[in-house]
Amino acid sequence: MSSTAFRPAVRRFSLPNGLRVVLAPSDDSPTASVWVWYRVGSKNERPGITGASHWVEHMLFQGSPKYGKGEIDRAVVGVGGALNAFTDTDFTAYFTTVPRAHLAVPLDIEADRMTRAKIEDAEVERERTVIHSEREGNENWPEFRVEEELYQLAFRHHPYRWDALGRRLDIEQMTPEELRDYYRTYYGPKNATLVIAGGFDLRPTEREVRRRFSRIPGTGASVEVADVEPAATGPRQSDLAGPGTTPYVEVGWRAPALDDPATPATMLIDALLGGETRLFAAGSFWGRSGEHPTSRLYRALVDPGLAVRAGSDWRPRTYPSLFTVHALAARGVRLERLEAAIDRAVGRLARDGPTASEMRELRTKIERGRALAYEGATRVGFRLGYFETVGPPGLEDRLYNTLRRTSAKEVRERARSLFDRQHRVTVRYSPAPERSDE
Amino acid sequence: MSDRRDPLRVEYGAGGDGPRVVRQPPPPGAASFAATYVVPGGWAFDPTHREGVARVVSESMISAAGAWDRMELARRLDRAGATLSSQASPESAEVTIWGPASEWGPLTQLLAEVVRRPRFAADDIGRVVRQIRERQLREITQPGSRADRELLRRIYPGGHPYGVSGLGTARSIARLTRADLVKFHRERYLDAAGLFVATGPESLEAVERRAAQLFGKATGSEAPWPFSGAPAGRSGGVHRVPMAGRSQVEVRLGGPSIPRSDPRYPAAFLANEVLGGRPLLGRLFQRVRERSGLAYHASSELEAMRFGGYWVAHAGTGADRWRRVVPMVRSEVVRVGATNVAAGELDAIRESAIGEIPLSLETTTEAHELAVDLAYHRLPADTWVGWPAVLRGISPGEVRDAARVALDPDQAVTVIAGPLGAH
Repeated sequence: MSSTAFRPAVRRFSLPNGLRVVLAPSDDSPTASVWVWYRVGSKNERPGITGASHWVEHMLFQGSPKYGKGEIDRAVVGVGGALNAFTDTDFTAYFTTVPRAHLAVPLDIEADRMTRAKIEDAEVERERTVIHSEREGNENWPEFRVEEELYQLAFRHHPYRWDALGRRLDIEQMTPEELRDYYRTYYGPKNATLVIAGGFDLRPTEREVRRRFSRIPGTGASVEVADVEPAATGPRQSDLAGPGTTPYVEVGWRAPALDDPATPATMLIDALLGGETRLFAAGSFWGRSGEHPTSRLYRALVDPGLAVRAGSDWRPRTYPSLFTVHALAARGVRLERLEAAIDRAVGRLARDGPTASEMRELRTKIERGRALAYEGATRVGFRLGYFETVGPPGLEDRLYNTLRRTSAKEVRERARSLFDRQHRVTVRYSPAPERSDE
Repeated sequence: MSDRRDPLRVEYGAGGDGPRVVRQPPPPGAASFAATYVVPGGWAFDPTHREGVARVVSESMISAAGAWDRMELARRLDRAGATLSSQASPESAEVTIWGPASEWGPLTQLLAEVVRRPRFAADDIGRVVRQIRERQLREITQPGSRADRELLRRIYPGGHPYGVSGLGTARSIARLTRADLVKFHRERYLDAAGLFVATGPESLEAVERRAAQLFGKATGSEAPWPFSGAPAGRSGGVHRVPMAGRSQVEVRLGGPSIPRSDPRYPAAFLANEVLGGRPLLGRLFQRVRERSGLAYHASSELEAMRFGGYWVAHAGTGADRWRRVVPMVRSEVVRVGATNVAAGELDAIRESAIGEIPLSLETTTEAHELAVDLAYHRLPADTWVGWPAVLRGISPGEVRDAARVALDPDQAVTVIAGPLGAH
């Protein structure tokens, strides 16, 4: 194929303080994107401080020695840049994309706040309501409530049982000192990867990175999670009711960790059932939005009018997590019918496996998606940082190559093991009756 | 001679045998192309008692076309690594394809098939109607969409297209037949004048040839806008929508505004950026979130369309905080039209808006959005090239004067939707 925007050449090195650096210059890019990935997320929290990773993420915009409150925003947006951050179970990522002439701005900010964010009491208190508000906004969506309940039901020991936003009570009670302690423990060069992608000159930028980041003390711990979730002893189910008009169901099964040999086959199951090729989809971070009419769940639930939306979700995690299937009922369809249809769809895949034609189409889709996945400096920064953070070197290529080699038989075997009824977790959401003006 | 490599500078076709054509060079390093066909097929043209037909046409036409049923169409897209999407707005509708530049020929053929020969199979219509019905229900039960809905229908009442979401009602979409869709499609997609916008390495001449070959010459003229005059909305007023069981209260303050063609638009654009349109720097974000810690989101938008517009200030807050947020939002709206913005603040806002232009060109799809916007509003080909100079030429007084017209608090409606508490 002649037309690709495939991964650019990169230069990797580490500083003596432990910071990993990935530089991916592109001569003709008008922008430069700077990403800092910390290997800390909600997996590192404990009851009482759930949501600490996310809260610290907010606090890193609220002041450091060179940048007072609001000055990071002003420095970046003032030159036409865009910045944001996000917190996941396994990592926290900060990114800034600027016109290439202003690369020094995000480098200066990231070096300043890597270990020296202020996290002052007054700012923590003010941010507490902001975080409450963020959580409240999510709670307005039944899908958020269901997913939070699903993970709570599936995990009784492992930290994956709470959402990265944290529990309400912990947001109310967490102290500034707990946040500072959390930040001091996990933030630092030893637990971080700096990625720069886009329009910059390699040598001067490498010098600049060494100058700014080498002086930072080598702190930051990458802590393994000791809690191991025991195997489930039977199916679990929860029923929620609340505002809304449409019944919704989400079903989960225990899924392998990223480094498990079963991962590529699980990714293919996700693509077969829900249609998303995730990390190998063109034009987005996590996968394309929109419908996937060729996917099995779509054909089994949406086409016959049982659901208005149906899909699957599996993301690579450091520890075993969940593979989920969700469906939003069509008007008048009961949740039991949806669940039965889901069971039939996953059961058929486990019984018969994918067809040769499905496997052929899927491989083409993955190849084509990968070919355009690296368009634009921001996406390049995301992809390089993501793979560096969640897995060992060479993860992307290894996954891709294994995906291409995985056979239909392996997918079927994997589906048989994945969709074990003893590991099935179900959350149903039924809308409570309320007055409607329609 | 124009720079044919700068994606900020589009090229207009000469207007030959095909639809109106606009070509945009691709962003540096891009290996993809994007093409959009735009028609005057928005929900303003929904016939009475058939409200929602523009949306149903827009969403079902990309399911199957010509010789390809849904599965075959979806497979062709997957095999090419392409994405096909459609959307409708009050004024227009568009279908966009994005994919590898090497697939320009077959993918533009696919786009044309979808635009010109949609199947409108019964199964596809049924599915889209079910999905739209669910969105109608969600529009009522989600505080955010409910607040938007209540606000817009008060700014533009009486079924005005700017005042509705185009989803129709349960009754109107249940009434739709295939014949309704075919008729709407023929009138608004085949007979009306279309616009073809392409971003990619193909030359303007090649794009023009391709457009003429695929779409032919549309015999129709520009569709007359079926609504005229200023909106008859009731100005002022605070409307509360209690919604028990939710967590967040959504606040909206908004009113009618100017069309994009209004000469005051650039100053109004800056006024909105000062108020809340500029991410992180806008006054609403700074005051409501950063200084007061009362909300996660607080911002504003100015929707300047071809025949009119509206502005909206948004905030999402808690049941115990909305009473403090509402006057805060209102006071910021008043302030932007009452006093001159300080020179330093205005400079920061406009340099930010100018500086972000390269970020809009990171990917083909982002650059393409700029081209479609420019082409739809028939703006000069070098509009984006000259945009920095236009913004730098606007004084604080002009921003204030534009705000008085385009963000007028005296005509504003306030809507508060969510768990309002026992007050």
